[in-house]
Amino acid sequence: MSDRIEREILLIASAEEVWAALTDPAWLEGWLAEEVELELRPGGDARFRDGDVLRTGWVEEVSPPTARDDRADRGGRLTFWWAADGEPASRVELTLDPSAHEGTVLRVVETRPLELLDLVGIPLPGAGGAGYGPALVAA
Amino acid sequence: MFGALADPTRRALLTAISDHRTATATELAAELPISRQAVLKHLTALADAGLLDRERSGREVRYRVTPEPLSDAVSWMTDVGGQWDERLAALGRQLGGGPTA
Repeated sequence: MSDRIEREILLIASAEEVWAALTDPAWLEGWLAEEVELELRPGGDARFRDGDVLRTGWVEEVSPPTARDDRADRGGRLTFWWAADGEPASRVELTLDPSAHEGTVLRVVETRPLELLDLVGIPLPGAGGAGYGPALVAA
Repeated sequence: MFGALADPTRRALLTAISDHRTATATELAAELPISRQAVLKHLTALADAGLLDRERSGREVRYRVTPEPLSDAVSWMTDVGGQWDERLAALGRQLGGGPTA
């Protein structure tokens, strides 16, 4: 069981340009949060600050756009977990679909896996205080 | 939880139960254009998803809407959804574009 929100936006840009907007802090700080630090590798640390709200977490998946047409994620996919202080972590999946004629569709899915958190939502020491580690996904 | 709410019949059942505060499968079948057996099937799914509480009353089971999981989930979805609407609007202003239909 999980809570889930899903949003889509059509962006007038190539998948490569949108990918830069998802992964380059200079871009990210223009739309995702005021301050963004993102270590672009699985298990990397993530930090997002917006006013006095600080979210920390870790990166699950980094798949840049690829020319391989057979891949469902060929437009690119970035997945990370984040949690504001004291709140349950949620998973954010950003997927690019380059097949639109006018541009690139960015799909956002944020999920909060309630039962999983009850069982294994244990802050991991040494994860930069990030909170929730890969055990959550493996469970 | 929201999988259980995807079906319009289930949403109608939740609304009906919530209007009456509590209801039995027989009462709901009389009110809605579906059989008692179909009502029971949906009630079981809703109860399994944590959206309904069961309460035995004589020979019947009365159902009531559990307020907490739903309101907590709804407030989470409202907050988080609103934040993404703002973020994506900002991204759209930078790159050009807008919400898909």
